[in-house]
Amino acid sequence: MFIEIKGIKKHFGEGDSRVDVLNGIDIELEKGEFCVLLGPSGSGKSTLLNIIGGIDSADSGYIVVDGEKIDKMSEKELTQYRRKHLGYVFQMYNLIPDLSVRENIEVGAYLSDNPLDVDDLLKTLGLFEHQKKLPNQLSGGQQQRTAIGRAIVKNPDILLCDEPTGALDYNTSKEILKLIEDVNKKYGNTVIMVTHNDAIKNMADRVVKLRDGVIRKNYVNDVKISATELDW
Amino acid sequence: MKNPLLKRFKREFKREFGKYLVIFIFMISVIGFVSGFLVASGSMIEAYDESFEKYNIEDGNFELYSKIDEQSLEKLEQENVTVYENFYTEKDTENVQSTLRIFKNREDVNKLCVMEGELPENRNEIAIDRMYADNNNLSVGDRIVIDTKGFKITGLVSFSDYTALYSSPSDMMFDSVRFGVAVVSDSDFEVLSKDSIHYCYSFTFDENPKNDEQAKEMCDDVLEVLTQNTVLVGFIPQYSNLAINMVGNDLGNDKSIITMFLYVVVLIIAFIFAITTSNTIVKESGVIGTLRASGYKKREIIVHYMTMPMVVVLVSAVVGNVLGYTVFKNVAASMYYSSFSLPTYVTVWNMEAFVLTTVIPVIIMFFINFFILLRKLQLSPLKFIRRDLSKSKKKKAMTLSHRIPIIHRFRLRVILQNIPNYLTIFFGVFLANVILLFGLALPAVIDNYQNEITSNMICDYQYILKMPVETQTKGAEKISVTSLETLESKLKSESVTIYGISDDSKYVDVNFDKSGVYVSSALSQKFDVNEGDTLKLKEEYGSKEYEFEVSGVYDYPGAIALFMDMDSFTETFSLDKGYFNGYMSDKEILDIDEKFIATKITEDDLTKTSRQMQTSMGSMMDMLTMFGVIMFMLIIYLLSKIVIEKNAQSISMTKVLGYSDYEMSSLYVFATTIVVVLSILVTIPVVNFVMEYLCETMLSQYPGYLPYYVPFSVFVKMALCGLLSYLVIAFLQYKKVKKIPLDIALKNRE
Repeated sequence: MFIEIKGIKKHFGEGDSRVDVLNGIDIELEKGEFCVLLGPSGSGKSTLLNIIGGIDSADSGYIVVDGEKIDKMSEKELTQYRRKHLGYVFQMYNLIPDLSVRENIEVGAYLSDNPLDVDDLLKTLGLFEHQKKLPNQLSGGQQQRTAIGRAIVKNPDILLCDEPTGALDYNTSKEILKLIEDVNKKYGNTVIMVTHNDAIKNMADRVVKLRDGVIRKNYVNDVKISATELDW
Repeated sequence: MKNPLLKRFKREFKREFGKYLVIFIFMISVIGFVSGFLVASGSMIEAYDESFEKYNIEDGNFELYSKIDEQSLEKLEQENVTVYENFYTEKDTENVQSTLRIFKNREDVNKLCVMEGELPENRNEIAIDRMYADNNNLSVGDRIVIDTKGFKITGLVSFSDYTALYSSPSDMMFDSVRFGVAVVSDSDFEVLSKDSIHYCYSFTFDENPKNDEQAKEMCDDVLEVLTQNTVLVGFIPQYSNLAINMVGNDLGNDKSIITMFLYVVVLIIAFIFAITTSNTIVKESGVIGTLRASGYKKREIIVHYMTMPMVVVLVSAVVGNVLGYTVFKNVAASMYYSSFSLPTYVTVWNMEAFVLTTVIPVIIMFFINFFILLRKLQLSPLKFIRRDLSKSKKKKAMTLSHRIPIIHRFRLRVILQNIPNYLTIFFGVFLANVILLFGLALPAVIDNYQNEITSNMICDYQYILKMPVETQTKGAEKISVTSLETLESKLKSESVTIYGISDDSKYVDVNFDKSGVYVSSALSQKFDVNEGDTLKLKEEYGSKEYEFEVSGVYDYPGAIALFMDMDSFTETFSLDKGYFNGYMSDKEILDIDEKFIATKITEDDLTKTSRQMQTSMGSMMDMLTMFGVIMFMLIIYLLSKIVIEKNAQSISMTKVLGYSDYEMSSLYVFATTIVVVLSILVTIPVVNFVMEYLCETMLSQYPGYLPYYVPFSVFVKMALCGLLSYLVIAFLQYKKVKKIPLDIALKNRE
């Protein structure tokens, strides 16, 4: 098992304002699996993603990634874990505004001993001719492609995507989903994608449906649909 | 209903406590220091100006070889002047290593201000100068021994004609450590002055001259009468008497330097405010957009965002002024009182200081904030909500070569992004270095001067006699000495000592050509006179001019002097062959009666400039060094803090990617480090150049020459001061970077 998530619980606030966001989550993922975490607002999906990403901690339970327990890790070890294993893609891209497209991607490449070739990646992402532009000169789709480039250039084992199409229009969303699908196929990274868009579940290997911090469904798709064929 | 936005102020103040505290401290110290200085100097200038009338200060004085006769006095009085006897005698004090110039009690001219105790009325009582007393740890009730006789100090006084204790008009600097002035009762004066008395007279014009030019004309008339009718030993018009004028000049110079300093600091504060305000708008753009979209007027938003900075400036101005009038005024006053023998002063309200230190900074802050806010609020609420505050379409990235490693490019981008911050840092470092160099270099300049003088002394004792007297002292060498003046530039000309030296002198090792002379290194450097030049000089109390061909420069930094051989000397000044009027000797001459000695010059006399500068400026230099370091730290702290806050989102994001705190700091803090280190290294030579120019301009107004020489170690100290204080700031910034949480990147903001 590449990723093992066991009994994860998490709450925010105390007393009357206490909210139990995650109430015992168990998931197991194989290497290279494409998993969609699906659920409405407040279901706990982003919190779970952040715990997997080592940027938030659980109250109880544990997560093992490639044999390493991340809940026992120190701050330094967590940084190393993110550096070695993770690529992150956010809804709002979070690009560094004063670095060019190429430089934003190179910031990711710097962290890896074995990064992908930046020129090849820029071509794959369709950004080669935009490489010298700043993020604010790009469309939303181009910015998200840059963010994906930054996440995958270090060839991470796991790609975490938090509502990557949340701020994009229909066509651009499909383009981005196709890109993530291609990346998953080409580089074999395990992808965990958080979304509230029900249609996206059809492109995943595994679908985990969350509501009120509890897994309502956890299943493997018998038939996967390509991102280009999705409709909503 | 009360504006709900008001509640944000308390929270904003709490959140940004560090920023406001630093601005507060910075403004208070600047406003307090400058207002204290201006108030003290303003009050003192007023007291000083009033003292001319209050104490009936002379318009000039002259010294004669003997008492003035009735006929000459009448001729003088025909020039509409009133002449007063102001005889004195000079005595070495026995329990304190110093020389006292002792006068009778004065009642008509150059009156005294009693600072403590009372004037002497009985035998064996004395009142001494307050400054001299301070420097020699003497106080009322102590005894001072003169001519083996003990005198009880009854009072500490300020002489209106010796506010700066110059013993001679040709001295570069006054000497309040080993030279003092004192008054005794008439009967004691008779006894003390029996062997040696200086027939000094003060004069006042019946009608005050309108300006220095007119005073010069009137004094020239007096001088003419004196040279025609008396044997004149000395003549000092008030306008060139540093013992009287130095205080006025110094207070005036200080005021312009301090005002200039204030303007530069206000400019820096203005920059800091402009940057912080812009940064606040960017940070708060979502809030501003939402408020505008909800119907808040531009005016309400402007008032809201201007309130905090204006409150901080106003409170700082009030506290700064209160401190200025209380604490800092006393600090500045004690600095003046430790240099000058000033009369008492009353603090006067200084409108100019208030306008300069309070009104102008407040207005500048108001307009900077107002215009930045007004300009930014021209953008639509939507743009604010989208955090797109650029007016122009889209800015382009400067192309940086891919060959530069990404980490270096990243740092370059941080620097390019923060150019206004870094320019302000550069400017602030420059200013802090000016202050630091003042604090660190002047003691070194003075030390160097003292070393130069002591290691290049001609001999241990120089004697100038009133008439030729032989001595049996072994090694004593006859010399001729006179004084000429440089040709006048404006009102001031400078006295040049002319030495006639025997050809085989063992003290002055030069070979004289038949017609050539050697100039001292001090004269050469101050007036840029070198080998092959022709030097023109004139008589001190006449108009006869002399020309000298310069054969070389003699390494003697102690005086503005010229050396020629004895025969040329007698020929030039039409004296009898074999004439001499002084000695150079390494041993003290004891077989010549004191009454034949006009002047005795020892190492103590030559080093009094450096000694006095160390006494007067020591505490000020330490204060300046401290102020420089504090200013350096505050500016860098404030601006580097903004760089990090501005990039909090990116820092958080990069941390999420897996960058360590150390790597993050190496990107964001190191960018500032590069700028700070470069600023320090670039500004030091520039500051040195500026300081050399300032020092030479400033010192050219005084007699003598003090070479500007700063040893390399001072620059190393300056750089270390800067780097060490930056290290503290860098550590604080590192902690700040470390504290930035990862979840900032998770908030859905761009």
